[in-house]
Amino acid sequence: MSIRVLNPNAEVLNKSAALHMNINAAKGLQDVLKSNLGPKGTIKMLVGGSGDIKLTKDGNTLLKEMQIQNPTAIMIARTAVAQDDISGDGTTSTVIFIGELMKQSERYIDEGMHPRLLVDGFEIAKKATLQFLEKFKTPVVMGNEPDREILKMVARTTLRTKLYEALADQLTDIVVNAVLCIRKPEEAVDLFMVEIMHMRHKFDVDTRLVEGLVLDHGSRHPDMKRRAENCYMLTCNVSLEYEKSEINAGFFYSNAEQREAMVAAERRSVDERVKKIIELKNKVCAGGDSNFVVINQKGIDPPSLDLLARAGIIALRRAKRRNMERLILACGGDAVNSVDDLTPDSLGWAGLVYEHVLGEEKYTFVENVKNPHSCTILIKGPNDHTIAQIKDAVRDGLRAVKNTLEDESVVLGAGAFEVAARQHLLNDVKKTVKGRAQLGVEAFANALLVVPKTLAENSGLDTQDVIISLTGEHDKGNVVGLNQHTGEPIDPQMEGIFDNYSVKRQIINSGPVITSQLLLVDEVIRAGRNMRKPT
Amino acid sequence: MREIVTIQAGGFANFVGSHFWNFQDELLGLAENAQADSVFKDQCIDMDVLYRTGETQQGFDTYTPRLLSIDFQGSLGFMSSRGTLYNENQNVPSNVITWAGDVSTTVAEPQKKNLFIKSLYEEEQENLHTGNSMDNGKNEDETDICDKDIVDNLDGTVQYWTDYSKVHYHPKSLYEIKGLWIDNEEFNNYGIGRDAYSSGRGEEICERLRFFIEECDHIQGIQYVVDDSGGFSGVAAEFLEAMADEYTNIPVLLYTVRNPTSDTYIGSRKQTISHHIQDAVSFSRLSSFCKLIVPLGSPSFSRNSRYLCIKDEKPYYSSAVYASALHSVTLPFRKKLLGPTADSRYESGYLSVHETIQMLAGQSRQNKVSILDVAMPAPSLTGKEAGKYLLRNMQTLTPETATDSEDLQATETITLHGVLGSGGRHALVAEANDAIQAAYENASPKFSHVSVARCPLPIPLPFPSIFSNLVGQHGELLSATSSSSSKGSLDVHSIPMATRLRSSSAILPFLETRLRNFRRFGVERGALGKELLRTWGFEKDDLEDVEEVLHKMVTTLVPESQISSDSE
Repeated sequence: MSIRVLNPNAEVLNKSAALHMNINAAKGLQDVLKSNLGPKGTIKMLVGGSGDIKLTKDGNTLLKEMQIQNPTAIMIARTAVAQDDISGDGTTSTVIFIGELMKQSERYIDEGMHPRLLVDGFEIAKKATLQFLEKFKTPVVMGNEPDREILKMVARTTLRTKLYEALADQLTDIVVNAVLCIRKPEEAVDLFMVEIMHMRHKFDVDTRLVEGLVLDHGSRHPDMKRRAENCYMLTCNVSLEYEKSEINAGFFYSNAEQREAMVAAERRSVDERVKKIIELKNKVCAGGDSNFVVINQKGIDPPSLDLLARAGIIALRRAKRRNMERLILACGGDAVNSVDDLTPDSLGWAGLVYEHVLGEEKYTFVENVKNPHSCTILIKGPNDHTIAQIKDAVRDGLRAVKNTLEDESVVLGAGAFEVAARQHLLNDVKKTVKGRAQLGVEAFANALLVVPKTLAENSGLDTQDVIISLTGEHDKGNVVGLNQHTGEPIDPQMEGIFDNYSVKRQIINSGPVITSQLLLVDEVIRAGRNMRKPT
Repeated sequence: MREIVTIQAGGFANFVGSHFWNFQDELLGLAENAQADSVFKDQCIDMDVLYRTGETQQGFDTYTPRLLSIDFQGSLGFMSSRGTLYNENQNVPSNVITWAGDVSTTVAEPQKKNLFIKSLYEEEQENLHTGNSMDNGKNEDETDICDKDIVDNLDGTVQYWTDYSKVHYHPKSLYEIKGLWIDNEEFNNYGIGRDAYSSGRGEEICERLRFFIEECDHIQGIQYVVDDSGGFSGVAAEFLEAMADEYTNIPVLLYTVRNPTSDTYIGSRKQTISHHIQDAVSFSRLSSFCKLIVPLGSPSFSRNSRYLCIKDEKPYYSSAVYASALHSVTLPFRKKLLGPTADSRYESGYLSVHETIQMLAGQSRQNKVSILDVAMPAPSLTGKEAGKYLLRNMQTLTPETATDSEDLQATETITLHGVLGSGGRHALVAEANDAIQAAYENASPKFSHVSVARCPLPIPLPFPSIFSNLVGQHGELLSATSSSSSKGSLDVHSIPMATRLRSSSAILPFLETRLRNFRRFGVERGALGKELLRTWGFEKDDLEDVEEVLHKMVTTLVPESQISSDSE
């Protein structure tokens, strides 16, 4: 082999060894993630060398936590992670689908079939499956008043695979309401407008939706109110702290008085700015029982805080940049960049602003806003790993709702689509294909069954029985999914089990692509500095 | 309050930082320890500048560094990324409350704690029993029995920077870059670091920094230590740009540090080119967004020092010197404003980060790059030629500097602490000033500022044995050799230090190398590194920017006569 001539240290795996290395890696990865799938899957707790705990049932998170060394496995993992980036879910499904495609192919290849023919069959089957998906999907109309029930069902389906039922159902309402809160007609949903905050406190069921904002800091003055109602909200980006100006290099004054004068002058200009804010406060709050809250992106130093506190104003400094945008969306008004632009119109409004203190951590709640276009999901949990896991689940839930709104369709879940697509491929598509590529279609069709099979396996059911009863029921003309408790066929529509259309589509699309690439590998050459041991 | 927030980015930066915080912890301990020398007890240094007070959810008070440390995942060794203070429950929970189904648990083998860390934990437990949980000071009498074992053990076992750290960190301080594992060999260039920052991690890093900045009443600056030898330069530069944008008025004082062995590595030609481009790009990008940059990491330092014997291959050793120098440089930023009771003969006053930067980079020419020199330990100011002797003893920690350059426009700031004057007492401010002035006679720099403090550099127990046998217990320089082996924290308890930051044209070789290499490998027609730069995501405009920055820095420093002769 020519590579040997070039580099005598290179390690070369020939055709069948290369193929089997790839197949084994795919199967290995499938084995790791398989138990994740579905509402009966196994949650994984990873304890690191330093005692850090990571809790996950998410394939995506798990893949990121594992230090994968095998190059084939890395390729598959990247595909799966990309799946998550694009559609927000389906990592586990992608991995087990790829693994199953490889497994099915192995059978045919061992019988002497050329991978090329299988790959051709995959291509035909993929196209047919995608067409079938278009027919199979359930369209939902998302006009100005989206169907809340269907959104809930999709969110619930996702969340129940990550969290126990009661918590999942509670979060279902939260994520649906959150997305609907920030949704604007004619615009793409920007999930960044849903802030996800956490508090290390009490129990997971305390998680709630705040229609408004939760900031992770409080005022820095002891005399400021901890709670205020009917608040005018000033969102600004104005420095309210004394700074040495760049030009007057602070070091070379000819005498102390000159220095004092300079300091005083600069201090005065800060005070001027503070006074302008106080003036506005006095103007809008005159006579009423309303309050005034300043949320500043820049700093506010103690003398300025003092002035503001004396005027009865609550002031927060160094707000997160992204929260500035959210504040405007939640409370109204405009972000003010200079005190010269201060007008009553630039102010927003919130019914209630209060501070919550947990040890050294402070939280400021801005609630009862008039017309929220931004909201906060506040997750509470007793420890970090629980919070992190709920957070991951909430993100998936949000994505599921967003996808549904954008897809304007959903796909029946619980394995219903996979069973139906498989029967379609075997009964209708296979006939139309000439020659041995038929076998590729067959392999693809059988690989689709990995989803219901794994669901059954994770529920402790017999996979053969389940598949027979499902396909039997399907051939009677019904749409069937798997009942996780009994193994009996059910109608997912009745049970409210729906998956995202775009997630399914993406899995069908990317799975065969990467499988084809791996199957067509002729030679694996290991050379260079990073010689790794095959696993 | 004039708070400083410290940021450490990358492996070696955290090794340096770990020593740095050990010094601070030692100072805090000595101030409380009744048996300690009185110089450690005058409250001339304001620890609140670097430390923050907090409270755990259980209501215990905490005092932790105002620090953000960025490193690989897994770089913390035995230490949890939540630090050691705020952990309420170390045990692995038996059930998972968010899931009703099966749980599969994978437990990695726990990282071993070395003797030093074990002894710290035991001590803490004892303290807890006596109800005094906040006492950071180590009581030397109790632990004396095994101190020697601890030092020997550390010498052989240090692998992570946490292995020799005696400081408690805040949970928000330790940021591990998720998905970048510590043995990642490919994370070795600017481009890959930049990608790592921009792929979602940047926001969390900024969030962490904001936490520390929000609680500052009047922040005077950010002290930023960057390991610029690999991918962290990219992470650090992107982060710095975000910082400069968000906190326009907070000056950033940046040190680049690197493991001395990272320069000596000789690889293929391709690697050499990559290395040169990396140096040029990371320096140019980092310097663009800070107010003052101090490149550190002179490969020759360890060879030239008479008083130190450093094993370069151990980051635990080499980082100790940089940390000592950093400690000295920060002292003026932390001085309390002198009250009427303070003895101003021995202590000179406060100097802010802003003022220091103005002195060095804001004078007639805008030279952002400074050189850091250190005399460790510093000789005492006795005898006629004391100043000269001191300056001669200073060695530069900055690589590729000219030794013979005369620069009339140079400015500098010198910090002396713990240095003895005539008669075995601490040097007076006036004495130090005079000595330095006298040393310069004719070729003096344009401006020279001297800061003096009495408190020497304390040597904490986990400090590596890097002193030669010419150094005495209090850092005095001995002439006779008493023993042959190197000395560590058991034999040397404190040392006087002198450091100097100078803005001088002596940095020109450093700048010119980078400019030349960048032009040669990255810009010129058919340059060999062009493809590499493209993979790092550098477009033509970006290349021009990098070159422009370097070029400008060189031209600021080249004496005018030379420029005019060029143009003729």
